[in-house]
Amino acid sequence: MSGHHISSAKFLWGIGTALFILTFITVAVTWINIPDPWNVVVAIFIAVVKATIVALFFMNLWWDSQFNVMLLITSVVFFLLLVGITLLDTLYRSDPIPSF
Amino acid sequence: MATSEAKPTNKIQVRRYKPEEYPEKHYLNEETGIWAWMTTVDHKKIGLMYLASLAFFFFVGGMLALVLRTELLTPARSFMDADVYNQIFTLHGAIMVFFFLVPSVPAALGNFILPLQLGCKDVAFPRVNLASFYIYVIGAVFTLIAILTGGVDTGWTFYTPYSATTGGNVMMMTLGIFILGFSSILTGVNFITTIHKLRAPGMTWNKLPLNMWALYATSIIQVLATPVLAITLLLLTMERVLSIGIFDPALGGDPVLYQHFFWFYSHPAVYIMIVPGFGVISEVISTFSRKIIFGYWAIAISSLAIAFIGFLVWGHHMFTAGQSSLANMVFSFLTFLVGIPTGIKIFNWVATMYRGSIDMKTPMLYAQIFLFQFMIGGFTGIMLGALAVDIHLHDTYYVVAHFHYVMMGGMVMAFLAGLHYWWPKMFGKMYSEKWAKFSAIIIFIGFNMTFLPQFVMGSQGMPRRYFNYIDQFQSFHQFSTIGSYIIGIGFFIMFGYLLYSFFRGEKAAANPWGSRALEWQVSSPPPLHNFEHTPVIINGPYDYHKPMSEFQLGIASKHNGHHAGEKVDISTTVKDKA
Amino acid sequence: MAQTSVDIEHKTDHIQHHFVDSDQQFESSKLGMWIFLVTEILFFGGLFAAYIVYRAWYPELYLEASTELNAFWGTVNTAVLIGSSLTVAMAIRSAQLNQIKGLIYNLYITIGLAIIFMVIKFFEYAEKLEKGIAPGAYYTYDGLEHEKANIFFSIYYMMTGLHGLHVVIGIGLMVWLVIKAKKKVFHSGYYTPVEITGLYWHLVDVIWIFLFPLLYLID
Repeated sequence: MSGHHISSAKFLWGIGTALFILTFITVAVTWINIPDPWNVVVAIFIAVVKATIVALFFMNLWWDSQFNVMLLITSVVFFLLLVGITLLDTLYRSDPIPSF
Repeated sequence: MATSEAKPTNKIQVRRYKPEEYPEKHYLNEETGIWAWMTTVDHKKIGLMYLASLAFFFFVGGMLALVLRTELLTPARSFMDADVYNQIFTLHGAIMVFFFLVPSVPAALGNFILPLQLGCKDVAFPRVNLASFYIYVIGAVFTLIAILTGGVDTGWTFYTPYSATTGGNVMMMTLGIFILGFSSILTGVNFITTIHKLRAPGMTWNKLPLNMWALYATSIIQVLATPVLAITLLLLTMERVLSIGIFDPALGGDPVLYQHFFWFYSHPAVYIMIVPGFGVISEVISTFSRKIIFGYWAIAISSLAIAFIGFLVWGHHMFTAGQSSLANMVFSFLTFLVGIPTGIKIFNWVATMYRGSIDMKTPMLYAQIFLFQFMIGGFTGIMLGALAVDIHLHDTYYVVAHFHYVMMGGMVMAFLAGLHYWWPKMFGKMYSEKWAKFSAIIIFIGFNMTFLPQFVMGSQGMPRRYFNYIDQFQSFHQFSTIGSYIIGIGFFIMFGYLLYSFFRGEKAAANPWGSRALEWQVSSPPPLHNFEHTPVIINGPYDYHKPMSEFQLGIASKHNGHHAGEKVDISTTVKDKA
Repeated sequence: MAQTSVDIEHKTDHIQHHFVDSDQQFESSKLGMWIFLVTEILFFGGLFAAYIVYRAWYPELYLEASTELNAFWGTVNTAVLIGSSLTVAMAIRSAQLNQIKGLIYNLYITIGLAIIFMVIKFFEYAEKLEKGIAPGAYYTYDGLEHEKANIFFSIYYMMTGLHGLHVVIGIGLMVWLVIKAKKKVFHSGYYTPVEITGLYWHLVDVIWIFLFPLLYLID
């Protein structure tokens, strides 16, 4: 079984350092003003990269059974379903919040 | 996916283990006493404890329903106030949905049967299993406190902004259901893990009983949907405690968003309730038709398909709630898709019975009632999914009749089929076939008397949850009420003969139905740790054309416990020593 | 640590009766934990959905309101959590190598970092509440123009509050691990609780990785 992968200390420190650097980048990009929709895109993109690194190398998904990878992806897909279909409503209402 | 078997290297010996008939020692009489029960991690006992709690809540919810029906005998006030009426229908809904239907098959029957059908000694996390039972109890206690300290009159859906502002103890109630959600999640986690990791040697995915596929699909829904309910109810609680305003239009929030969140759980939740019922029906129909199930993969995959599509259709509860017309159209279209996998199942069950040697025992009778009533419930559901029709029928008795046909006419019948099917396995006693059939027919008649008139009333415009109604509906309401009393009598009879069976019933054989599934290849009631041997499976659970001896195999070596040095290879020749 | 590896390989006290071997038990626990993490993701998913819906309605509100959040302390907290993730990973490594002392030290550092996180969070909350930036109906701050500012802060408090609750639970779990480790329960053949607590802790970190840019870094 693949569950007992042991990472070297050097490797873990490397991953940690990469995460620190990415954190710095995500803060740094707010100093240069990126036009509106793209600042969110960049911020989310970096966050996704960081989260993927954590999942793959800290949570050992890289060496783990593929079913566990699938579980993580499934949860993201269903979250996107919740958001996506809800937005089908909220974005296309004639009056966002009906007044009472 | 890894099963419990290791790499096939050297062959192992397999021999036949015939189940012991009328065992002296079994799980019910080893480790007795109240403390042993309270702290047991045995899935069978936990299943029975769930069963007892469910029976209690079903009784409470059912009595509330009878009280409601009695009040509706006359158009105006009969014997209770409108406020009390509101509280009672809320409680009837909340208790039946959250305390009976959601845990009914998975937590009670599922807990008992799942490890037996998989051929393992317990679920993957026995202590978590016990914890989930106590979480259920704690949730129930919260709800009871809510009832005793002010009641709740919001309906089981707790729609904002009414639920954020009304009196009564909404907070306690939502907290109770929040807690209950954890119980449901833990059961789901346990079942998925058990099905993945603890199957007996040879129990491959294509030999998994369909009941397991159904429970698997159910567990997936439980795991994916319940957390969203949890966060929704948490937000609602915060709405009442801190007035956070996310759902309250008076503070700038959006009440329709609440409905999105709520139905993202609660629509899949109706599949949490019904899909395990499908599993039970598959088992029962195959067993009593003495025939291999028709379309094994079609039934298995359609369970998963229902689980998935169930997540895409929640907006059909909100056609008149003010969501955008684009969302309305998308949801209406997607809703029709649910009909496809459900139809596939129905056709496969009917095809299974075709030319089978049908033995109309009580579980099979309930399965037939299920097919009849569930079809009515399903087709009216398709009608309600049509956008234009729903505008007319929304929040009328038509909807009430529809979901009672699905939930009570479908799910409760499936539950009763399962209860009668596995009763001999649970307690090692038979019940009176004559009385059981009698009560099944009474319940069938009563049920249809109660809910058929409600379709008519609804289409004529009788709104649901109303305390008063206009005189033209009185005869329908009275007919309906009489029907509900007949259901009550039916359940009373059932309670009687099951109680008699429990104490005085004739002893059940290990396999009274002649089923090929694994849970019937142990004694009734099963031993404390289910299997004294490690079962080995070489045939599918519905292979009625193969001799019984091929279904009672186990590893020949007694040394089946922790780490035998030997490797398992199931392709060995069958040695029938017994 | 005096045990030889042969002894450890054959330790079987930890195997429960319904599992065939240690591997099956380990894999089951890990699978169960991953399924539980799925529920955690969807639990927070509800809040993220609320966030997204309101942000799509009122993008200007988010721009304005996030200026009230202190990006510096947010960054510090992010670094603290990532550091704690690293130490948890190191703790698991120590357990795998049978270095029980290393395991305990790494857990101590993790607990320390988690407490630092909570302390910073506490000062952030205190500073806001003092200004009258409270959730929903109790919102009294007048530094922001937008009429829905209270909704943004409701979402902010719910998200960070729930995340903070998870951090506190994580601290509790870690303390429990330290106690167990001191009783010499863990060894290279059995470290399942360390592994699955680690998974939980990493998830808490991942959620913060998303919360941080979405709440603090909007301008």
